Amino acid sequence: MVEAVRVEPGSFRDRDSRVVVAPDAVYRALSGTGADDWRALANSPLLERLTSDGSLIGTEEVGPAALGDAAAEILPEGTETVLRHERIPFVSYPYEWSFAMLRDAALLTLDLELASLDEGLTLKDATPYNVQFRGSAPVFIDVGSFERLREGEAWAGYRQFCMLFLFPLLLQAYKEIPFQPWLRGAIDGITPTEAARLFSFRDRFRRGVLTHVALHARLERRYEARDTGEVKEEVKKKKIKTELIKTSVRKLVSKLSWKAGDTAWTNYRQDCTYSDADAEQKAAFVREAVATAQPGLTWDMGCNDGAYSRIAAEHSEYVVAFDYDQATVDALYRSLRADDERRILPLVANLADPSPGLGWRGLERRTLEDRGTPDLVLALALIHHVSITANVPIAEFLDWLRELEATLVIEFPTRDDPMVKRLLSGKREGSNADYELETFERLLAERFDVERSESLPSGVRNLYLARPRA
Amino acid sequence: MRVLAYLDPGSGSVMLQALLGGVATILVSIKMFGKRVYRALFFWKRHDDEDSEPAASTTTAAEHETEKEPV
Repeated sequence: MVEAVRVEPGSFRDRDSRVVVAPDAVYRALSGTGADDWRALANSPLLERLTSDGSLIGTEEVGPAALGDAAAEILPEGTETVLRHERIPFVSYPYEWSFAMLRDAALLTLDLELASLDEGLTLKDATPYNVQFRGSAPVFIDVGSFERLREGEAWAGYRQFCMLFLFPLLLQAYKEIPFQPWLRGAIDGITPTEAARLFSFRDRFRRGVLTHVALHARLERRYEARDTGEVKEEVKKKKIKTELIKTSVRKLVSKLSWKAGDTAWTNYRQDCTYSDADAEQKAAFVREAVATAQPGLTWDMGCNDGAYSRIAAEHSEYVVAFDYDQATVDALYRSLRADDERRILPLVANLADPSPGLGWRGLERRTLEDRGTPDLVLALALIHHVSITANVPIAEFLDWLRELEATLVIEFPTRDDPMVKRLLSGKREGSNADYELETFERLLAERFDVERSESLPSGVRNLYLARPRA
Repeated sequence: MRVLAYLDPGSGSVMLQALLGGVATILVSIKMFGKRVYRALFFWKRHDDEDSEPAASTTTAAEHETEKEPV
């Protein structure tokens, strides 16, 4: 399996610290400078403290030998040492997170930055791509980001923090503009100039906008032509207190909230269109399917309040719960975080338009399926949205599900279901002709072996447990 | 020595920090000064951080810092 060891194509920006992926673990190759920085961290009480409280990924120095002879060829030139990291069950990106997730990732970054200062360390960058989630718990994964503090220097990651954390959060909190499409479209985030154009004059009176957005954009324009190195040296002489700036940014971020997320959180479970009998039978069906399958990774697509994700988590190693609606995902995340649930990862995702490969060669950020395919898929109360709202033909949708090579639990609401009726009401007579129970059952049987099917008490919804046909 | 990181911090962003850093230092000094005045006026009262002597030395250090800083 040595040939499968490769330098992670998305890890090239920081030449002092590059990620190497092997079948058994994730490694990090450090240059001479990188190694010195790592030792400064390893010799401080910080490493032990942050790893044991779960805010930093588990890491040990193993040296280049751990990668074997053949792997030595692929290590970047000048590699001095190699670290081994604990694995993250499923990699996710900020454009798949809800507001509260991005905010928690921002707070974690700032907390680590402030804790580092006490030990004479700092973070060389401040990007949400340095944070991953273990279920609802954010964890900082870029150990290579810690470096020795150079007294008096400005906060190197401030601009990046604004572009990828602060501006997206401010836009969502103050302007109700979802940040996900923007972060998906711009890998480096929103520039101060762009952000300033999005806020009105009145917004400048809201916390953080005047300084971090308006003034930031103005200074950026004014000093555009100046060499950053020169400015840095000039400012260094002033010995600015970055700790005060970081503390005030932390206070600002911790006070940001998003109303829709709050509402969805309080109205949790009120939107349910099911009868109790339906919900009960459905839960039993799912529970039995998961218990039999004993899956490693389960995808709950269209997870809503996550009721079935929680059932799936009873017998799955890890559950990724997707929903298109950001407010729902935000509510689910908060509820999972309140329970400290580490086996369910909630993500904002539209299955009709899943996360593509992004960045340099389209490999820096990987597609959804590239990050791990499921053993079990729950597609409950989903197909009508995909078929009727997004107009994806039923056959195509089932083809895609078949390609996942996973056990499938799928629900089909018939044309008499109130939600289906509502979705069809805006459509021309005769559209979505493939949305018929008989057609669905035929197409499903062509691709899967249906092991079990049940009709729910309401009579308008059917459940199927199916395995991919050989 | 000029140390260059892989990330360009942006000249405008660095300038903004110089400005914010200056303002923050002034605000902290004012707060500290305010506390001292308050203590002087209500010297018979017990203050929260009274028994922690280092706090007093931090005050002086912070003030000292502002004096030499042209903002």
